[in-house]
Amino acid sequence: MSCSSVDVKAYFLGEVSRAEKSVVDDHLRACESCREELDRLKLTDTALRSLVEEDAPQRIAFVSDKVFEPRWYQTIWRSGPAMGFASSALLAGAILAHGFSLRPPAQPAAAAPVVDTAQIEQRIEREVNVRLEAAAAKQREQMASMLDAVQKSYETKRQADLADVRQAVDYYKNQTARLMVAANRVETPAQ
Amino acid sequence: MIFREVEDRDLIAKARRGHVDAYNVLVSRWEKRVFNYLLRMVRNREDAMDLSQDVFLKAYQNLKKLEDPAKFAGWLFRIAHNEAYSLLRKNRPDGEIVGELATGESSARMFPIETSLAVQSALGRLSEDQREAVLLKVYQGFKFDEMAEILSCPVSTVKSRLYTALDLLKQTLAPVSLGGAE
Repeated sequence: MSCSSVDVKAYFLGEVSRAEKSVVDDHLRACESCREELDRLKLTDTALRSLVEEDAPQRIAFVSDKVFEPRWYQTIWRSGPAMGFASSALLAGAILAHGFSLRPPAQPAAAAPVVDTAQIEQRIEREVNVRLEAAAAKQREQMASMLDAVQKSYETKRQADLADVRQAVDYYKNQTARLMVAANRVETPAQ
Repeated sequence: MIFREVEDRDLIAKARRGHVDAYNVLVSRWEKRVFNYLLRMVRNREDAMDLSQDVFLKAYQNLKKLEDPAKFAGWLFRIAHNEAYSLLRKNRPDGEIVGELATGESSARMFPIETSLAVQSALGRLSEDQREAVLLKVYQGFKFDEMAEILSCPVSTVKSRLYTALDLLKQTLAPVSLGGAE
């Protein structure tokens, strides 16, 4: 097999299939110039990787921005009550539709059955109240867990800030001590 | 690797819902890689820092447009590539880009220093396209097809740039005489 039909660079860069790799392996065993090419690529790679990655001079961080945060109505819509309200409305609609569908055909006035709309409304109201109450309970529960999470987050940040302050104080103490020592050293020859 | 990918995906999902803290965690994972890529592209530390901030801001603003969170790395480097070239194009008419790295100021922490300087010099002699191909492949470990997506060009172009760059780097960093045959 000729050297031109073997892609030593792709082989070196790990961009060949298993079958291709086997072909290149066979060729490398027989071809000295391709082996040398591979050695030089390895040497180049080793040199390139001697460059260490540097840390960014400053950390990149973003603070909360109202532009990107969900709007208040989005928050409400995503909360439990919205879903509760939607399901209650759907249920109420279904009850109403069911009520109307069960109405018998129009009869002579004397025989016309009386539809108890008041009873239906009561049922609807009862169902809606139950759903709303469940939704409100769910929201209370979510609110409590969110508050808990916020408190924990606040406490963690506070502890981190305290640690930073302590570290800074220690640093300044050390620096002061060093300055004192240095000052003493400067004064000593004069005495 | 899979575990890390899942975690990034979770952070992306949270960030999309407006959780800035989740996004900051994501930034902290990627900022060093992005900064070093930009540093070696624009060869100026301040510019690289400014561009890094722009990259992450744009990524945040466009996070909802990212269709597949598993491709976050390529998508992020695509933004970084655009930012780097935008600056390089802006600087080009004013003459050559004065590279802070070329002064050797940053190499004080590198070991061995001769090799680092030689590498910086050799990378600096490549064209921007060739240098970027080396950065994305050797330092960032992207596959050819991922690089093609980042650079918006065919895989054949990616290979051509990279192979030419490797040949040029080889001449400086691994001359023939080092083989020991001569």
